[in-house]
Amino acid sequence: MAKILEGIRVFDLTIAAVGPWATKLLGALGADVIKVEAPGGDRLSHAVPPMIKGSSVLYISANHNKRMIELDLKKEADRAIALKIIEKSDIFVQNMRPGAAERLGLSYDIVTAVNPRMIYVAASAYGRTGPMAGEAGIDPTVQCFCGWCSVTGPDHGRGEMFRHLAHLDLTTATTITQAVLQALIARERTGKGQRIEIEMITAAMALQTTRLAEYFATGEQPAPLGSAASTTAPHQAFECEDREYIAIAVEHDGQWPGFCRALKLDELVADTRFATNRLRVANREELVRLLAERFKSKPAAWWTIRLSKEDVPNGPVLRFDELRDHPQVTANAHIVEIDTPHWGRMHVDGLPWQFDATPAGPIRAGGKPGEHTTEVLHELGILDDRPGASK
Amino acid sequence: MSAPGSLDGFRIIDLTQGLCGPFCTMQLGDGGADVIKIEPPNGDYARRMGPPFVGDESAVFLSLNRNKKSVTLDLATDAGRDAVRKLAAKADVVVEDFGPDAASKIGLGYDQLKQINSKLIYCAISPFGEEGPLRDAPGSELVIQAMAEYTASLGRIGDPPVRVGADIASLNTGIFAAQAILAALFHRLRAGEGQRVAVSEFGSLLHMRGIMWSALSDPDDWFGFHLDHYTKPPDYGYQAKDGSFYFILRRGDSEGWDKLIMGLGMEEVLADPRFDDYGRAATSIGRYATEVKPIWEKAFANRSRGELIDLIKGMGGDAVPIMDYPALMAHPQVAALDIVTEVTHPTAGSLKMIRPVARFSDTPNSIRLPPPLLGQHTAELLDAVGILSR
Repeated sequence: MAKILEGIRVFDLTIAAVGPWATKLLGALGADVIKVEAPGGDRLSHAVPPMIKGSSVLYISANHNKRMIELDLKKEADRAIALKIIEKSDIFVQNMRPGAAERLGLSYDIVTAVNPRMIYVAASAYGRTGPMAGEAGIDPTVQCFCGWCSVTGPDHGRGEMFRHLAHLDLTTATTITQAVLQALIARERTGKGQRIEIEMITAAMALQTTRLAEYFATGEQPAPLGSAASTTAPHQAFECEDREYIAIAVEHDGQWPGFCRALKLDELVADTRFATNRLRVANREELVRLLAERFKSKPAAWWTIRLSKEDVPNGPVLRFDELRDHPQVTANAHIVEIDTPHWGRMHVDGLPWQFDATPAGPIRAGGKPGEHTTEVLHELGILDDRPGASK
Repeated sequence: MSAPGSLDGFRIIDLTQGLCGPFCTMQLGDGGADVIKIEPPNGDYARRMGPPFVGDESAVFLSLNRNKKSVTLDLATDAGRDAVRKLAAKADVVVEDFGPDAASKIGLGYDQLKQINSKLIYCAISPFGEEGPLRDAPGSELVIQAMAEYTASLGRIGDPPVRVGADIASLNTGIFAAQAILAALFHRLRAGEGQRVAVSEFGSLLHMRGIMWSALSDPDDWFGFHLDHYTKPPDYGYQAKDGSFYFILRRGDSEGWDKLIMGLGMEEVLADPRFDDYGRAATSIGRYATEVKPIWEKAFANRSRGELIDLIKGMGGDAVPIMDYPALMAHPQVAALDIVTEVTHPTAGSLKMIRPVARFSDTPNSIRLPPPLLGQHTAELLDAVGILSR
């Protein structure tokens, strides 16, 4: 069956996680992604631990569904090869610091002179203008800059970082993928490529849209609330008799009577203090005091049965060893196990979308730096006349 | 009038409520698509998510529904469902979040709608995915975060779980849903066929944590931030005299390093192997960052964070203050990039919101309509498909 991005080639000049994850998704949609690295690669991608059989897991993970080539763009012969690949490409993605691609002679103007239909993506941490223009940023620095930590932490406690230091990288990446798809649609309709700019801080703020809206509405910094949601209640984790936590939610008023029945607190249905979400949020403290005591009286499994019967959202706090073979995860291929050429069998993220007519994937591991240089140049009919090149 | 957007002329019928679906369709609207938001007679439940409210509308709702027109229809009635079918017949995309099979039961499934619109793109959003034992289970922001183990990277072992403050299960999934729709639209432009696409919140968050699953597969050793963050204490950055900040050293040289260390009066670390390679392993994601943090903080205690940030940047490091929302909004970088924009709403007045993220040179994203009042466009849009709304 045809792939959605069949025949679309990506010149992938990306580093670390932000750019690579974006092009990896394009690869999963069927694009021919050619990842171009300087000899030795960028230090960040290759050095982030843990390593698996000597390769950084970040590098392995962010580069599925690509072919890996090496070019030393500071050398004229290599740059000439790059321009020939660019001529045959549709999408150019780079996430170097503003100015770096220009210094390598791969500015928007140069790239579009070679290939006027090119969609050229420049992603950066802080953009091209302003006092921080050109500064580098990575997930943790963007977390700190963007207020992300100020709304996360124990109930009314100190704001803390999210220690899986990749979420804002990948959020920016998915925004890039989305923008590329938009630009491909535009090009299909107008015939023209264009330039796209994306900053990590803007992507990180857009992901906080609902929380920033609270701030815009009140002028007050929203406090961290532990596991609780700020604008719906009850919507948090409660400790049960067996000391397990159960996450529960009443996100709209339709779920409230069933929730009360599940807890055998039927009298709360008619309690005017809690009749609507608005009132439950306003009277959150009283409500939570009541519920905390109730949840503590029985083990989590009991509440799971009762809440599920009433169709009220609930779930446990899971860990990887419980997730990897969880029937919900395997049935939907949310996490999958693949064989890789260099790193053995490995669990990887499943595809985030399903297409009935044009399935994405399959997910296959990329390769080591430069592994596909000869193959790609040969396939594109590009003569590698660099000294020492294999013919 | 600005240049046309990339999605101008596409019509989206949005049957979703809450956060995820509306965030998806708002992005398509930003791209230029006409988004018709179908709401039940009492409105999208997100209109009641609060306080805070601005006028009668929740701040949450207002932040997720610009560039849409609102039509109220009661899908429990034949007339309501028939109106959706008439609208879908002339649309390019339908988005729903009813859960697996639920749309088909009311005659609004893909197989039913494609009979009247063969090239339709149909996007279904579910909490857990369309297969498996939890396919019909309801989800929520916290339930999905907890089950996708996001709470493992927050808080302290033994303490109550802490969630990510942002609504990531909803919003990150909204991005994937937008991608799926865009990819299907591109395919339709090239191949002429529509199709059904699907995303789930659980699947989306598990995807976003993918580096972790590989890290845990068979690592050479058990360290690195993807692994030992499970057991690390909460990270608050670095405490200076007047506030906290964060920094990472990864482009050092000996001259800058000596200047930094002498400047901070930290000469004793020059003999400490954990600070080798100009401190690369001693900060941020470095292997020894957590254990050597007190050494840095001792040197930072009598210095302002502004002074420290300048010093660190001077040697090629990255350093930023840890900011809350008021500080962020006052920051000149946010102003320089015009990240916050204002929209005038008919009853709530002037609203601040975050602009569309991607900036296109040729087909710009744009904000053309404020979030709609409930049913504001019912008459206009139903009349257009030949239904008398009254």
